[in-house]
Amino acid sequence: MSTTDFTRQTHHEFLTASSQALVDANLQLSLANVGDTLAKRNREAWETFPQSAPLRELARQIKDATLADLAGHLETLEASVRERGGEVHYAGDGDDACRIVTDILRSRGAKRVVKSKSMTTEEIHLNDALEAAGIEPIETDLGEYIVQLSKQRPSHLVAPALHLRMPEIHQLLSTDAGETLPNTPEDLCAYARTRLRDAFATADAGITGANFAVAETGTIVLISNEGNARLTVTMPKLHIAILGIEKVIPKLADLPIFLKVLARAATGQKLSIYTTLANGPRKPDELEGPDEFHVVLLDNGRTRILEGPLRESLFCIRCGACLNVCPIYRNIGGHAYGGTYSGPIGAVLTPLYDGLTNNRHLPHASSLCGACQAACPVKIAIPEMLIQLRDQLHKEPGEMHWAEAQAYGLWARSMRSPRLYRFLTWLATRTVGRVLPSGWLKKLPGPLHGWTKNRDFPAPARERFRDWWSREGME
Amino acid sequence: MNREAFLARVREAATSGLRYRVHADPTVTRAMGYSTIEEDLVARFTAEVAKVGGRPVVVPSMEAARREAAQIFRIYEPRSALCWRHPVLDRFGLTDWLRTERVTQIDSALLAPQARAEQRRDMLAADIGITSCTFALAETGSLVMAHEFGNERVASLVPPVYLAIVSREQILADLFDAFDRLGERLAKRDWPSNVTLITGPSKTGDIESKLVVGVHGPGKWHVLVVDETAGEKPAPA
Ligand code: SF4
Repeated sequence: MSTTDFTRQTHHEFLTASSQALVDANLQLSLANVGDTLAKRNREAWETFPQSAPLRELARQIKDATLADLAGHLETLEASVRERGGEVHYAGDGDDACRIVTDILRSRGAKRVVKSKSMTTEEIHLNDALEAAGIEPIETDLGEYIVQLSKQRPSHLVAPALHLRMPEIHQLLSTDAGETLPNTPEDLCAYARTRLRDAFATADAGITGANFAVAETGTIVLISNEGNARLTVTMPKLHIAILGIEKVIPKLADLPIFLKVLARAATGQKLSIYTTLANGPRKPDELEGPDEFHVVLLDNGRTRILEGPLRESLFCIRCGACLNVCPIYRNIGGHAYGGTYSGPIGAVLTPLYDGLTNNRHLPHASSLCGACQAACPVKIAIPEMLIQLRDQLHKEPGEMHWAEAQAYGLWARSMRSPRLYRFLTWLATRTVGRVLPSGWLKKLPGPLHGWTKNRDFPAPARERFRDWWSREGME
Repeated sequence: MNREAFLARVREAATSGLRYRVHADPTVTRAMGYSTIEEDLVARFTAEVAKVGGRPVVVPSMEAARREAAQIFRIYEPRSALCWRHPVLDRFGLTDWLRTERVTQIDSALLAPQARAEQRRDMLAADIGITSCTFALAETGSLVMAHEFGNERVASLVPPVYLAIVSREQILADLFDAFDRLGERLAKRDWPSNVTLITGPSKTGDIESKLVVGVHGPGKWHVLVVDETAGEKPAPA
């Protein structure tokens, strides 16, 4: 396999990983597609559907209002689920959630579960917990299935196997099949369909995440293009949905507002192929659907985010649009970010969930170009949040070299004092500006060299703009 | 973690977080998100179905619908059909028609008395699924399916080929309209255990972003729209 090792790291060395990613020819080929396909479709969707502007604003307002009384909405959700014969469980963290799920499964003697794509279960490493409990998890989204066979992690929110190329996928599925499969995407899909049909028919339980949970109706909303989410909540006797508390929306009437923007943002579709509202266990006369319905509500750091200045990151509906437009993501792919969530929103979420000092590179893994915010269906101010994280990080003791801290201090003071600013710019043009004819600083001295290691820094001009302006510009 | 402690923590965090609420633009309304549909709903619906990879045909009568369905059956030569029970299908005369086509009809009437294993075997073996819908949506080319006894999910999901028969009056303009109508059912406490919106044949792009249909659900999606007003109007250009 040509995929580099960092894709299996659980904790990252961002700089090494991204440098490796940049020279990984396969990965670069895979990423080259993203701009022309997904990102372009997102842009066209916003341009050709003028209604998206008010809808995105509304979606944002609903998220904001819901978070303002989140506990109330969770209680309503619980009451609705109970009323329809389901059960609700509360998980303070990932271990809690894994224990709740494995307990339910064990007590029913479950041996094998089918899963439909869920980043939340990735976040809590549910598959590891299931395996440790002697329960076999089978991912059923084709991309997730491939990623599971490769023993890697998903590299994109909606296209988990984006980083893999045809030869690798062919090899993985052939190994799984125990024979060399024909080498076309159609044939590989046909194999997966048959293989997974068998899994659906024999699984003891179906585990899903949720794109939304409607408090008013106790509904778990699942969106997919393949149909695996539908099979997951239709064939097995037991359905367990695991979701972060931020997934709740108050009313059934709120849902179409989100549906109208989610697929457009993710893939440029008006709606994904299948939008499923799972409303509870089967009714007594029904021929299909689960006998039992469990909803596991997960905190896992979300309340810590909810109370703070980066609360807005909880608006995220995991569409992946910010990844597709991000110049950093499009160069390094998802794995280099190291966390469950990658791209611009991952650069915000991973430090929030996993600690800022553990992930000090992530807030800097952005050019702050603003493309993410422009693409986002709920207009999350990702660049601002990254700046806030950078600011917090720099206040951590020992985070910055003294010389860099001094330079920042001087910069900050000069920005507040016109006299000091004028003096410093005068000084810069008289000194560095006069001796460096090329106009570029290739290497800053000492601890400041990090600034120039991977880029050149423009040198001060020979003359200050204000001097030029007072001499000639006024005319 | 116990429920009370969990909810208390959420309540506390939500209250502290109030300081960080975002600026809201009070001028936007839900009505601004409606799609504008100028053409006839049938024309828009079928155009959208075609765009997402379905094969729509508009017919002026149930008799013409049966002729079209027969054409579709010539392509796939199904031996068994997993079907809904629905007023539109009754008007189509599905049971009699399947008999003349010599295709076994599998539906709730046949399945209900069976043991689960038998039910599952029959459902999984069906060659084609035939349904109507609860509503159809012109805006997106979707079928809205309220699933309940008689209107099973598996019909539009498990067989490799899927045929939907839609009558003109079932077509709504906008996604909002569909949710308004679902809201009415909710208010009447007639809320199904599962509602699904279908907007295309099953698809994946997970292998090198190449589009492949039929990965888990049906790869072929035919939609017959019966528009009994169509004879009275000039055909669309
Ligand atoms: S931050 Fe916005 S664009 Fe990015 S995944 Fe979340 S909702 Fe989508």
